[in-house]
Amino acid sequence: MSDPAAVEFDHVFKTFGNRKVLDDVSFKISEGEALCIMGRSGTGKSTTLRLMIGLLKPDSGRVCIGSEDIVHSSEKDLSRLRRHMGFLFQSAALLDSFTLEDNLALPLRRLDKSKSPSEIKRAVDETLERVGLDLDIAKMPSELSGGMRKRAGLARALVLHPKLLLIDEPSSGLDRITASEIDDLLLTVKKEYRATLVIVTHDVRGARRVGDRIVVLDQGRLIGFGTATELDKSDHEIVRRLVSES
Amino acid sequence: MGRFFTFIGEVSSFGLKALVDAFRPPFEWEFFVAQIEEIGWRSLPLILAAGFALGVVLSMHTRGTLVQFGAEALIPSLQSASFFNELGPLITALLVAGRVGAGIGAGIANMRVTEQIDAIESLSVDSFKMLVVTRIVACILILPMLTLFMDFASMAGGFLAEYFASHISLQLYLDRAFKTVEWANFIPPTLKTSVFGFIIGTVSGYFGYTTDEGSQGVQRAATNSVVLSSLLIILADVVLVKAIFFLFPRNAV
Repeated sequence: MSDPAAVEFDHVFKTFGNRKVLDDVSFKISEGEALCIMGRSGTGKSTTLRLMIGLLKPDSGRVCIGSEDIVHSSEKDLSRLRRHMGFLFQSAALLDSFTLEDNLALPLRRLDKSKSPSEIKRAVDETLERVGLDLDIAKMPSELSGGMRKRAGLARALVLHPKLLLIDEPSSGLDRITASEIDDLLLTVKKEYRATLVIVTHDVRGARRVGDRIVVLDQGRLIGFGTATELDKSDHEIVRRLVSES
Repeated sequence: MGRFFTFIGEVSSFGLKALVDAFRPPFEWEFFVAQIEEIGWRSLPLILAAGFALGVVLSMHTRGTLVQFGAEALIPSLQSASFFNELGPLITALLVAGRVGAGIGAGIANMRVTEQIDAIESLSVDSFKMLVVTRIVACILILPMLTLFMDFASMAGGFLAEYFASHISLQLYLDRAFKTVEWANFIPPTLKTSVFGFIIGTVSGYFGYTTDEGSQGVQRAATNSVVLSSLLIILADVVLVKAIFFLFPRNAV
């Protein structure tokens, strides 16, 4: 019997009001794989990430993390699963009334009750050092630049050493050099944490560099799934245009 | 009309859920203490300044009339009766609705549109308890205390105005002010502000927590929080005064 996928979408449908956001979407992500989700704006990419962490429930279909279907999971089971998940939001979503240190300590305090305050402090220091923000530990989010905020958001997502890292548009609003630095960080995380990465992005260059495979969504439907080289030869024009570097 | 009643139903169930959740562990003490500081401590200068100024003004206004009837000795008791029964609780609530209501509405709405609430939920933390329940409970507990400060600041203002007008001693002023005050005149009107606090926290929390319209939603949440809280406070006051008269008939005399 084969190992369960790290993430599995099985005939997932999701609507908001009359708008069909995901329309019969199915795919599997292997453990340790980096999957990029691409598509035009409003095609359900961020919704896909939110379904994976249980912030949204599908109208029908299964969303499995490992072998567990999270659609019908209790809040307690979801909490246990989230202990092994990290989420970098598009806007970083740092709590603006907290310092950087408190932002990183929050997941540890809430999801890892076994850690003492000194262990939490050490974990926060180490994670901030990893993303190059160790000197900014006492700063408030409003004192950080866009790139620093993204790195801080990534640090918060990493602080629990997640097995599954969900990343929403890591390069949006960043210059090319900073975006490339974020991609470097993601590659390091993938290698060192052996984490499964799911990255929603519009950045073709980053997707081809970090992603092992790419999913392409259009109007809620999955229209392409494969490696960048495979998608270059897709029959679907939108897929070729979205993954093409030129 | 149907939409109005739907809205009232939603706000009511939002507030009731908050009250139930307030007694359900885990308790968000850290965030509750932060809200006590934000809503109570930081409102105190406004409450003290407003109370003092209103005390001075009310004393100056009543003096002119009462002197004509040779009844200036009634000024302190009129002052205490006005503030302890009605002005103190109502003005405190309206000032807090303006300062805190807008802050709660805009603050939570901003967290919603900047995905901070999603970030909290993704950590399996109940954002409703952390952000809404702590604020509502803080409002319920803090309003009576701020009302006490408003009442005594107004008495201080009233005394100062009277002292400069008639050189009345503090002892005599206090004797006259508290001669007619009974616990029934003082406790129920002060405690009714807990209901005002519940209204401010619930209405502002509702508009902030349920917004989904970006920066315009933040602005609308702030405005709606103040307007609806103030309106409901005034309407609730009518009902509560009637209820106090019913429970403590001597207050109505």
